[in-house]
Amino acid sequence: MTPVLEWLESTWLSTTLRDSPNVFLYRTILAFHTLGLAFFVGISSAIALRILGVGRIVPLAPLKKFYPIMWIGFFFNAVSGLLLLIIEPTKFLTMVDFYVKLVVIAGAVYCNRALYIRRFRHPAAVDPNPLPAGDRALAVTILVLWGAAITAGRLTAYDDANVQWQTAVATLVVSVVMLVVGFIVVRLFGSIRTALKGDPTTVVPSHGNATVR
Amino acid sequence: MEPFLRYWLRWPSVEQLIYQHLWVWGVCQSLHFVGMVLLIGTVGMLDLRMLGMAKQLPAAALQKLIPWGVFGFALCLATGFIFVTGIYANINVHPYVVLTSDVFLQLKLFFLLLAGLNLLAFYVTGMAKAVDHMGPGDDAPRLAKVFAGASLSFWIAVMYFARLIPSGKFQP
Repeated sequence: MTPVLEWLESTWLSTTLRDSPNVFLYRTILAFHTLGLAFFVGISSAIALRILGVGRIVPLAPLKKFYPIMWIGFFFNAVSGLLLLIIEPTKFLTMVDFYVKLVVIAGAVYCNRALYIRRFRHPAAVDPNPLPAGDRALAVTILVLWGAAITAGRLTAYDDANVQWQTAVATLVVSVVMLVVGFIVVRLFGSIRTALKGDPTTVVPSHGNATVR
Repeated sequence: MEPFLRYWLRWPSVEQLIYQHLWVWGVCQSLHFVGMVLLIGTVGMLDLRMLGMAKQLPAAALQKLIPWGVFGFALCLATGFIFVTGIYANINVHPYVVLTSDVFLQLKLFFLLLAGLNLLAFYVTGMAKAVDHMGPGDDAPRLAKVFAGASLSFWIAVMYFARLIPSGKFQP
């Protein structure tokens, strides 16, 4: 594999982009990779949150219109990502983390497509509430995969596999702690608010099937 | 002013955290990106709706997603605070030096300020209220569209210049 990588690294495109005295060139490709990510992952995550019940009054059908923006973001990422790969093929193609990142992104793209086909291709006249478990499972998977993709992407900046592992595990632990604490705080805040209002109709039911958020 | 800032910008506790655990910086970077994603996903969507995309969406409903954008911004702010106060532990340069000499960081912060002022103007001019009353199919007032376009451009500028920060020159 090494000769192929060395050849890739010696191509005109690779050497030009890598050795350019213009600092803006490499950094701008990197910036486009981030901008594409912001719109692709951002809109995808916002839609996933809506599927999970955030902003329930947002009608689902018109959200379909945002999908092209998402895919344009993905296109930006694919092109800039390919250029970044050509600049340092040996670094990336010998890194386990890079393959993890690719697999995770492929999974996220697949889930976004699946969610689109299930929920947005032929939108329902009235949105079911709550949405089918299959839709919600896809939304959770999308959010988890995006978290993993961002982390794996950030980790490509490190050369040391040991540091990468440590950081990956720490990110997982910190994320889980934040989610649990956030969930508890939101629940606590909600019950304090309903208690202060003294309105018995808005009390969260105790059998776990919460309809009031 | 300089001695004051030089004293307050370096936080030994944050530096110790970064020195002692190799993962702190990377975790904060990931969270910084997650915050960015939440912010752009929610605020960007509302901006695009104001500019005329997905007109069947009632804008008021879309504003229900904004708290997640605010949470995202808070994540960015908290992790950004760690980057500034703990940068000495990462690159051995005083944050005062970075803040006063890295033009890209300065540009990022400048556009961040503009995005903030833009948001303030959006509320002060009553446009936020007007947008709140936008039902399905309604067109946003022209001024609201200006704010929406400015918001998108400013956030894109913030992200662009942020990516250039490591290429900035530090002159001690």
